[in-house]
Amino acid sequence: MTITVAGNKKEYEEGLTVAELIKVEDVENPLYVTVTINDDFIKSDTFETTVLQEGDAVEFLYFMGGGC
Amino acid sequence: MAFTDEQLERYSRHIILKEVGVKGQKKLMAGKVLIIGAGGLGAPAAMYLAAAGVGTIGIADADVVDLSNLQRQVIHTTDDLGKPKVQSAAETMKAINPDVNVVTYEDFIAANNIADIIKDYDFVLDGTDNFPAKFLINDACVQAGIPFCHAGIIRFRGQLMTWVPGEGPCYRCVFKEPPPKDAVPTCKQAGVIGAMAGVIGCLQAMEAVKFLTGAGELLTGKLLTYDALTNTIRTVNIPEDPDCAVCSDHPTITELIDYEQAACDGLSKDDVAEAAAE
Amino acid sequence: MATNENYTIADTVDITDVVCPVTFVKAKVAIEELELGEVLSVHLNDGEPLLNVPRSLKEEGHQILALNDNEDGTYDLIVKKNA
Repeated sequence: MTITVAGNKKEYEEGLTVAELIKVEDVENPLYVTVTINDDFIKSDTFETTVLQEGDAVEFLYFMGGGC
Repeated sequence: MAFTDEQLERYSRHIILKEVGVKGQKKLMAGKVLIIGAGGLGAPAAMYLAAAGVGTIGIADADVVDLSNLQRQVIHTTDDLGKPKVQSAAETMKAINPDVNVVTYEDFIAANNIADIIKDYDFVLDGTDNFPAKFLINDACVQAGIPFCHAGIIRFRGQLMTWVPGEGPCYRCVFKEPPPKDAVPTCKQAGVIGAMAGVIGCLQAMEAVKFLTGAGELLTGKLLTYDALTNTIRTVNIPEDPDCAVCSDHPTITELIDYEQAACDGLSKDDVAEAAAE
Repeated sequence: MATNENYTIADTVDITDVVCPVTFVKAKVAIEELELGEVLSVHLNDGEPLLNVPRSLKEEGHQILALNDNEDGTYDLIVKKNA
């Protein structure tokens, strides 16, 4: 199936969960990433159970604490 | 309020713009912007807003200028080493534009002083370098209904978003709680390209200019992210959290919180020297 | 107020003592002070101001009603505020 991750269309296996996508994409600080699918927040305690669908658009939002 | 010939010339590039014009320049000159943090983000923002003729610019920071600041904090110079950052920043702003009224707060913002500092301003820029401060600024601005622009930078990346009452999510809608101490690196630990502070600080200044003049669209409901290594600038939609602890209609956080700082953020110069010696 | 069979001049501005871009800036400041439909007379020099100021005012959506040659190297540009 085709999913858009951070603006890039990519092919993934059917049945992929958000938790698996985080692993596949090697997301930095996976414990502290905010995820949206189709502009809706996904609660972090549902990453394991949320299955991605064909055409989904996923965004990873990262903490960025610098500024000094 | 009529422009003097000197002001007409100084602000001519603004007045020529259809989106700014006389009315927009007068709005900038009547505007009050508070910059929290006279560091990497605050430096370019303060300089451009002073140059733009923003009427009152507040700047808050308790630190003094350190040699390691000068790689990116372009409002301070080598001659300013050891000087309070707010004093050095005020001197540069006044040198750029004597018309600007600069108000300095030589203090760390905390739960017991932030509400009093932000209350007189139209717009707040978060130029701080730690999560406790970023969450505090979000909560205080949301509770007081004062629009603000959040930003963060690290390594070759940066991001920012703007909050305006009733126009989209706050920082806490996206990031619920500060990460545990030292779980997410800061730029002190991970490094940052000086120009990244310039890029993102300038984008924050741009948000303040758009807010004051009413030109264009703000970054409300959007997180702008910039990755310098891949030349990628993206604007990601961010939704409102209907159960947000601060900005929803049933908030659970109604008092300001002083979160604990990460151990490394509190390092003094001596600590760094000690660590380097080990 | 000067009158003419076609228009009534609400205000005048002299931009002969300044150079680009303050020429257009002064004209723009003057026209922004007017109400929609009111007419501004701009006293300007031949050359660069004559080339650029009428064009810039037109780009802002204003209407050029007339350009009167004073035959001393200056002109009076008559503009109606339309934007």
